[in-house]
Formats: sequence, C-alpha cells, structure tokens
Amino acid sequence: MRFAASNVLLLVCLFSFVCSLSIGAVQVDFYDVWLALWSYDNTQLAQKIVIELRLPRAVLAFLAGAGLATAGLILQTVTRNPLADPYLFGISSGASFGVVLLLTLFGVQSGLAMSGAALLGSICAMSLLLLIAYHKGTAQIENMLLAGVALSFLFNAFTSLLLYWSDPQAVSAIIFWSLGSFSRADWAWMWLPSVVVISGLVIVICFRRHLNALLLGDESAVTLGVNVHRLRLGMLLVSSLLTAVLVAACGGVGFVGLMIPHIVRFFISQARVLGMVVTALSGGLLMLWVDVIARIIIENQELPIGVITAAIGSVFFLSLLMFRKRTASI
Amino acid sequence: MAAAQVSVSNLHLVINNKSILTDMSFSIEQGQFLGLIGPNGAGKSSLLRCLYRFQDQTSGTITIDGKNIAEFNRQDYARKVAAVLQEIPSQFNLGVFDVVAMGLTPHKSLFASVSLRDKQAIQEALLKVGLTHKQKQPYESLSGGEKQRVMIARAIVQSPSLLLMDEPTSHLDVKYQIEIMALAKSLGITVVASFHDLNLAAALCDSILVINNGKLVAHGSPQSVVSSSMLAQVFGVNADVTLQQCAEREHAIPHIRYQYQSLQSAINSGTSRSQR
Repeated sequence: MRFAASNVLLLVCLFSFVCSLSIGAVQVDFYDVWLALWSYDNTQLAQKIVIELRLPRAVLAFLAGAGLATAGLILQTVTRNPLADPYLFGISSGASFGVVLLLTLFGVQSGLAMSGAALLGSICAMSLLLLIAYHKGTAQIENMLLAGVALSFLFNAFTSLLLYWSDPQAVSAIIFWSLGSFSRADWAWMWLPSVVVISGLVIVICFRRHLNALLLGDESAVTLGVNVHRLRLGMLLVSSLLTAVLVAACGGVGFVGLMIPHIVRFFISQARVLGMVVTALSGGLLMLWVDVIARIIIENQELPIGVITAAIGSVFFLSLLMFRKRTASI
Repeated sequence: MAAAQVSVSNLHLVINNKSILTDMSFSIEQGQFLGLIGPNGAGKSSLLRCLYRFQDQTSGTITIDGKNIAEFNRQDYARKVAAVLQEIPSQFNLGVFDVVAMGLTPHKSLFASVSLRDKQAIQEALLKVGLTHKQKQPYESLSGGEKQRVMIARAIVQSPSLLLMDEPTSHLDVKYQIEIMALAKSLGITVVASFHDLNLAAALCDSILVINNGKLVAHGSPQSVVSSSMLAQVFGVNADVTLQQCAEREHAIPHIRYQYQSLQSAINSGTSRSQR
C-alpha cells in the first residue's frame, strides 16, 4: 500500500509538471505541451514558450524544492533538532551579503553575476561556520547551531549596513532577489543545480543508515560503527552546498527545508528510504505549484516565491499541528 | 554469537587534567555477566565509554578475545560489541521496526538493502523481547520498559559477542528492571552492565566490580563483594547484608537492607551541629 502511495505521488508529480507547463499568462493546451516535449517545432510560439520559458522554470522549481527539502532533512537529522532549517545556519544570509556587496560596490545587476556572488557569499558563510564549529576538533551540536545563528546575524548586519548606504534602485533589486524567483532559470547553467541536487539525494540515500543511527544519539551511533564527526561534517557540507547552489539560482526560498521533512515525518518513519524519496518529491511538487501560483495570481506581474512559500507553509503547518491526531505511523 | 573474553589492564583515563579512571585492571570470562556498581560520578559510565570506544583511554590496554580494541576498524568493532545506552531518540517518528533494523548498520554496505534474512533476524529479535505486536507503532508511543527492550532487540540484531549496558533499568518499574536484566542474561553472550540498584546487581550478576573515585575497589562474586563494610566505605550507608538461599542458584544471593534509622540520626546530628 505504501508503494502504491509513492507511485501515486510520482504520477501526481508528472501531472503537475505538465500542468505547470500549460498554465500561465498564455494558456497552452496539453496537446501543444505534448508536441513541444516530443517533437519540438521552434516556429510555433506556444511550443517556444513551453520549451524556452516554462520548462527551465519548472525544472528549476522542482530541483529547488527537492534540494531544499533534502538539505532540511539532513540538517534536522545531524543536529537531532526537528526545527533546524537550511537558512538557520547563515548560509542564505551569506548569499544575500554577497549579492548586496556586488550591487553596491560594482553596480552589476546581471542575473548570472548575482548568482555567482550569492554562491561565493554562501560558501564563505558555510566555511566560516564549519571552521568555528570544528575549531577544537569536536563539533557539539549546540555550538554549531549557535555559531550558525550568530553568523546569520553578523551577515545580516553587514547587509543592512550596505543597503543603508546604497541607492533605492539597488535596494529594490536586492529585495526582489532575496524574496526568491525562478525567472532567471536558464538552460545554460541548469546542469549545476541538477548535478548538486541529484548527487545530494544519492548521497543521503547511501548514508541513510548512518544518518538514522545519529538519531539514536552520538554515543549509540559510535557503537553502531559510525564515524560521527566525519559523517556530520560531510553531511553539513552536502546540505550547505545544496543550499548555496539553490539560493544562488533562485534567491531566498524559505520554509520548504523546514516544512517538508516535518510534514512527511508525520506520515512516514524517517528511517526508510521511502521517507527520504517522498521528502524530495514533495518538496519539488510544492515548489512547482508555488511557481504556478506566483505566475498567475496577479495578471502581468510575478509574485516573489518566498512570500508564497512562507504564507502557505505557515498556514499548513499550523493547521497540521492543530488537527493532527496521534495515530500509529508508517 | 560466541561470547567474548575481555581483559583490561592498567587503564588510565584523564580528561582536562582530571583523572577519571586510575589504573584499572580486571578481566571478564567468556559468557559472564559483570555488574558495575559505585556511587554517582565514580567512573562507571567512563569505563563503559572506553569499552565501547567513545572515549580513548589515556594509557593502558583493553583486549577482546586477545586483540587490542584499538586495532579493530569501526565496523568490525560494532559487529563485536553492542551497547544499550540511556540515549533515547525522540521527535523523529521512528517506527519500532526501523529502530531495531538500525542494528544492521555495521553489517551493511552503503548500497545494500534489507534482505529477507535480515527481516527474519529482526523478527526473531522482536519476538525475543516480546514486542512483535508493536513493531509498527512509533517508538515514542512505547513505555519506558518497552523502549529499552527495543534497544536490546536492536543490539541482538547487531549480533555482538559483548553487550555493554549503561544503567539500562534506571527510571523503570521493578518488573521491567528484572525483566530487562534477565533478558540480557538470556542472550548467552558476555555482558557488562552498570547498576543503580545494588540488590538487583547482587541477585543477577555472576561477578561484580565496585568502582569508587575512578579506582577499582573490589572485584568478585556478589557474595564476596557485597558486604556491609563495603557499603559503608564506598556508598556511605549503613546496611545489613544477609545471604538468601535461592532454589535455582548454586550460590546464595546477598540481600541488602538499608538502615534508615541511622540515616535519620545522621541527618539530625548534621542539622543539630549546624545549628550550634
């Protein structure tokens, strides 16, 4: 039955994918989507919209959702804190700082340069975090969380300072960037998030037993033959890389990394491969629809992704907490 | 699952310039059930941590079946030695079956999935601890005694030859205390467990190790170790120890009766002194 459920999820994902290609400012019917996917004719406007505008967006949205959900799952597991989230560790603050620095110092506003700056900024934040957390050779979870929160405040302080000095145009560009959007999606660099997200997922599935052993506690994990420090460092690197690349590609998209693993955990025991796959798929599914909503909810205008994810996420989360019944899991 | 023979010689453990364990030497015969007793902070958990390699000793050697434990790689060691600790996972909605399946971790490569034989092993372990009917429930929904039994089932799946237990029965009802220790004993492997309840230790263990201030105070059979002089010296309590004959056991079991009157007078004299 559980496998049936996951098959249904897979089908829903495929269906949503096609929907997201068809729905938009210009309605493209399913037949044209089908034609565009299987026998692309670049003289047809409808097919051109599907392949060159909507498909990269949909792929990026799915990758971002799946990747952030996986990063959240990793962080929640290695910190044994169900409220950990990829943004808690200052990675996105580092990315924003990188972008702001680029805009204020060089005045560059091209999408690719902003993504590059965001990647550099988040890698910088991530290295600082790992350096601080591991500087005595032992990474206590509490130290790591505190260091992450402190770093995120530090970067936010720098960002605010730079914003205070920059002109209003740059400020609005930065705000739009930091609220997240898939509009910069481009086939030219899509390989980077694809490779990172897919390999991240494969690594998580390979090391699932070790990750789950961490849930028992550090000492119990050691008695199960797990090299706790190295595993935690490696997994932090994986989740940071996922977050860094995705934040660079689509700006700040909050709440997915925190919310999706949490929701999936209500229904499926985390110790199963299925739980991990479902987490990634649900994250992707959510983002696909969020992107559709962002594109169509206001005519001729695009809403920032971060606003919608935060709104949906918090409402869904609160209702789940209120109406949740304590029944048997699995 | 053959039982392991363990020997510890001249074990020292120093953390932050503080001596935690000092010059400990003892050995455990194959299949023995060894109980660790001692007051809080005496070094029971530290000794166990050295045994399950969470803590590297400062000097001295520990060997299992004649091989220095430092020479094992992590996975091999986990196949040989399992531990049931006080750490309890929570908030992650783990199923009972999945927690027991974690015992497979040292036996599996990165890509291997759970085979039919593994599933059988898990079912057998669940049967042994009497939780087959609860395998689909969330771990968090179990009672304290059941949680510890799940951890023991996990250790059984790990199929070790040495089982280490760090106060596995504290906070449990008397029934579960006896049940869990009897369960560990029934596995037929070498067991080292620390105890809070001295009567339980005296009744169940083949031999008892008394630790005080990081030093080994006594090691031997319960009858020879548990005495009112030892209790007064190490634990600072006045107690009578009587030997009870038990039908199934060849040796008599020491039974401790604490003298609460003398404790009361000790408190009274303490307060009257402070009033003065």
